[in-house]
Amino acid sequence: MTARDTARVTLVVFAFIVVQQTLMLDIRIGGVHPDIMVLLPMAAGLVGGPGRGATMGFGSGLVADCLLPTPFGLSAFIGTLIGFGVGLATVALDRSSWWLPTVAALVASVLYEVFYALLGSILGQPQMLHVGVTRTALLVAVCNAVLAVPAVRMVGWALPKVSKEGMPTSTVGSLR
Amino acid sequence: MAKLRRSRRPRTTLLILLLASITIITLDARGGFGRITSGVKSVAADSFAPIRSGVNDIVEPMGSFLAGSVHYGAVRQQNQKLQQQIRQLQQQRARSAQTEQSLQQLSAVLHLPYIGNLQTVPAEVIDYESSNFAATIGISVGRDDGVQYNMPVVASGGLVGRVVQANHHTATVRLISDGASLVDVLYGTPGAYAAVTGEGSGKPLSAGLVPINTPLSVGELFVTSGLNGAIFPPNIPVARVTGSKTGVSATEESVTLQPLADLTNLRYVSVVLWDPASP
Repeated sequence: MTARDTARVTLVVFAFIVVQQTLMLDIRIGGVHPDIMVLLPMAAGLVGGPGRGATMGFGSGLVADCLLPTPFGLSAFIGTLIGFGVGLATVALDRSSWWLPTVAALVASVLYEVFYALLGSILGQPQMLHVGVTRTALLVAVCNAVLAVPAVRMVGWALPKVSKEGMPTSTVGSLR
Repeated sequence: MAKLRRSRRPRTTLLILLLASITIITLDARGGFGRITSGVKSVAADSFAPIRSGVNDIVEPMGSFLAGSVHYGAVRQQNQKLQQQIRQLQQQRARSAQTEQSLQQLSAVLHLPYIGNLQTVPAEVIDYESSNFAATIGISVGRDDGVQYNMPVVASGGLVGRVVQANHHTATVRLISDGASLVDVLYGTPGAYAAVTGEGSGKPLSAGLVPINTPLSVGELFVTSGLNGAIFPPNIPVARVTGSKTGVSATEESVTLQPLADLTNLRYVSVVLWDPASP
């Protein structure tokens, strides 16, 4: 990655964390607020493949962890898995499909929230399983499904055009 | 179809990042690294506070404008002027009511009868539950105002929670409704000890260590015990009993309680500058 790519990725992550910590915290649906940070590893996995998805998940997760009251490193861990998982699961699919970002966001968000609560409870925060995980996961998933396409475009803009992991350049371009 | 080249690099990346994450989580939870992560969180929160405040200042009027536009568009053209006037009057009234409510809350936290001679620092609630998985609030005072880790936080009704992260200018408070919250309490006459725990945001609290068949009446008050070395000073009202029952093979009474402070509508709170080591 060049310095320009790094600056773009930093800008996108910064934009997401600002929106998450301001606008999204004010939106409450049934006591649950959207969690758009999940979209970063999902979109990076979709656009750049498993390696970039994992890296984005780790980096954006660490940034999110700095501002969350939950165990430090938890978002980074789950984000890494989600980014890699999305990249791996979609490697054989036609990534130019219009429905793919939405479906990927739905599935990734549900998995992210459920694993987050499960791992949090394993790490000594059992209350994380008592907050209505199903409702939280579904609401976050629906919100992220709506925002999936612009998120993929933003991450596609930030990540380098030619993937070193064997991703066809046309794939990256088609998502813009 | 484009030919995909498989390589081991993504898997190596995954392994390295997962190991790094697990190391961070472990060190944060068990080692002295917790101080470093706490410091990182503190710096991040301090750096982010002005950005959050600035963005909120920009976004709030835009949100009001958009909401107004949607409402405005539905109105017939000949009534626009009149409706706008009504809207302005309603907004003024709502703002007055909101301001009055804020003043009442602020006045209440400045005159808490149960605090006695303890020093307090009033604070504004600046954010509410930044994670879906933890009942916490952010407040507008921090270490520079004398706020330290574990200090109790109270509001007009009673106990709100305790400080779990003290930054320079802000702090994070874990509410008593959070599942990880535990408060030593006293109830009844002459006074029996129990432990009140949270069950999650918006849910009633529960009390442990209450022996079976304890005669508890609805509305009975639970206050902080102030046991030697306790985090909370004594006699701060915590909650009132809303129900109790004895299970078939239970070893203790199942008690549900309603927090006395309105945890869902907090605007101002007070941090009690309490050191558990002090008498």
